Amino acid sequence: MTDTDTQRSDEPQVRSDGGRDGSVDYLNSEVNIFKPSTPFMRDHLRVVWAMFAAWALIVFGPVTATYLATDLMTSVTVIGFPLHYLLTAIGAPLGALVLSLVYARKRDALDEKYGVDHSATRQSTEGTPAADGGVEK
Amino acid sequence: MTATAALAPAQLLPDALNASFKLVPSIMVTAMLALFLAIGYVFRVADTEGLWVAGRSIGNLENGMAIGANWMSAASYLGMAALIALSGYYGLAFVVGWSTGYFILLIFLAAQMRRFGKYTAPDFVGDRFNSDTARAIAALTTILIGFVYSVGQARGMGLVGIYVFGGDYTTMVILMMAITVGYLALSGMLGATKNMAVQYVILIVAFLAGLYVVGYVGGYSTVLPQIEYGAMLDQLSSEFTEPFISGGFYLWLATAFSLIVGTCGLPHVLVRFYTVESERTARWSTVWGLFFICLLYLSAPAFAAFGTDLYAQAIGDPYGTPGMTGAEGDVIVVLAAQLANLPEWFVGLVAAGGIAAAIATTAGLFIAASSAAAHDIYTSIINPEATQRQQLLVGRATIVVLGALVTVTALDPPALVGELVAYAFSLAGLVLFPMFFLGLWWENTNRQGALAGMTTGLFIWFAAITNQVLPAYIGALDAMTGESGAIVPVFADVFPAIGAALAGTPIVFAVTIAVSLATDEPPERIKRIVRQCHSPEPMGQQQSAEEVVANKTGESGTTADD
Repeated sequence: MTDTDTQRSDEPQVRSDGGRDGSVDYLNSEVNIFKPSTPFMRDHLRVVWAMFAAWALIVFGPVTATYLATDLMTSVTVIGFPLHYLLTAIGAPLGALVLSLVYARKRDALDEKYGVDHSATRQSTEGTPAADGGVEK
Repeated sequence: MTATAALAPAQLLPDALNASFKLVPSIMVTAMLALFLAIGYVFRVADTEGLWVAGRSIGNLENGMAIGANWMSAASYLGMAALIALSGYYGLAFVVGWSTGYFILLIFLAAQMRRFGKYTAPDFVGDRFNSDTARAIAALTTILIGFVYSVGQARGMGLVGIYVFGGDYTTMVILMMAITVGYLALSGMLGATKNMAVQYVILIVAFLAGLYVVGYVGGYSTVLPQIEYGAMLDQLSSEFTEPFISGGFYLWLATAFSLIVGTCGLPHVLVRFYTVESERTARWSTVWGLFFICLLYLSAPAFAAFGTDLYAQAIGDPYGTPGMTGAEGDVIVVLAAQLANLPEWFVGLVAAGGIAAAIATTAGLFIAASSAAAHDIYTSIINPEATQRQQLLVGRATIVVLGALVTVTALDPPALVGELVAYAFSLAGLVLFPMFFLGLWWENTNRQGALAGMTTGLFIWFAAITNQVLPAYIGALDAMTGESGAIVPVFADVFPAIGAALAGTPIVFAVTIAVSLATDEPPERIKRIVRQCHSPEPMGQQQSAEEVVANKTGESGTTADD
């Protein structure tokens, strides 16, 4: 649901130059998790919230189901495990790992969409005004 | 479940574990400790940048392993199998809480923290809320977390040490802690990070080898014990799988939630993101870290199942009377290898893995605590003119003092390894997580809000611990407790010491938000720093959000800091 980059007519210029020369002024765009103020944040938060919901289901779903329908969850057996045990002991950790992988990939796709390249950071070539660096520590 | 130090090792540990000096395992453990010291010496640090953030030079896979080793302590290696064996389905709340929390850390905090780009967790709180008081509270919380958490590690090392070297619990705790402290004071974060990759390999190889061999020899499993143990669950006592026997639904939720938000609030976890080369590395190394963690976490329930079955065959019903003691449970991983009649050197390998796990985590915790003392309290508040030499000195002194305090407390620990560690998670989830989360995701969070929130969090934690844990230590409090072991049973039901964050963290959020709304907005400079943390634009390897903001606003005409 996140990679639908259809009909966002206001974005092409963001994509081509990554907003680097100020087409989006990130330093003057409010940060509020419920009110994303830039196209990037909107896209990012859409991914974040969708995946957060999936995570909550994977983590707290099995135990809640076990509480509500104890007999059903404990009597169904899958590959030897009672269902509640399987979903909690194996489903939750593995599910979180898969979700993490998916998120990291989606976030990389967002970087690409907005023309962000992190490989340049190592040489710390800031394309921005800081000619004098401020890098010295 | 309290094990007292006065007991002789033979009573503390079961006879079957054969706690006495063993030549081959002793050589193995000694060689391993010598290796850690050597690596620490080679990568020793001379400046504070190296001591605390490893020069911000660590890559994906290496940081992933460091996250894993830093994370997987004696609580994961020994304590988790113990909790599953002793408390059945409730123990799984620890598996879930300690693994799935990394996802929340990944989507909400990891990359943004890397962009913020400071040195320590208190640094974030102090700079973000522009307050030395907030910095000091965060620093003291960091030190307190390191203390509570490490007590669990010292107990784990002591119990395993008895198995390898014989001797008594007291000697072993002192010996192991002395080695850990010596190595840390010598090597700092760079050495510790390099060591963590090694320690991860040792601990995961030892754990998995132990699991596979015990499973194979015992006839439980062949190629995938992490799944195959399902088939034997119906042969175990029903206590192993039946839900909500040793902990109700609420306690389960409270424990898992507390461990999840605690994961996101732990300073020694957070600082791992400051050591990486870029924010993308921060993200991917979290994924790698969770993968490395899952390797062990999917295996621990299997190990617990094998161990419980072997225990039932060789010693007696683990859930009967007298049943499995806390000290036995805490070494169930080693005990299982012993009960499966594996050769001594192999049991020694499994034991060595436990020690590696404990040392790696204690290292991370102590570094976080020492930087909190030297950098955040001493340099930022007491003596801003401090030289690198003075900072290093204060940092190392903190490590030594903290090590001594932990050692003394661990001689008479109040709970199981896993439970002790969970108290530290409650604290991190109550005090630091709300500051990190709100600080990064709502720019209007201000100083007054943060101070009110952190104070509330600390109050809830101390109340929960005083209510449930301290009575075992302080006679005057003990006299006030009823049958439940808590002074105010209702409070313990809502805010259990082990899971106080479920009810507490939302309260801290509410207080922080309400006070922030009621008082002035933070200065524009701070807001810009928060915005810089969320911008997609890449930053230099050594740059912090603050520097970027100062440069940019300087150019556009507004006054910068200097």
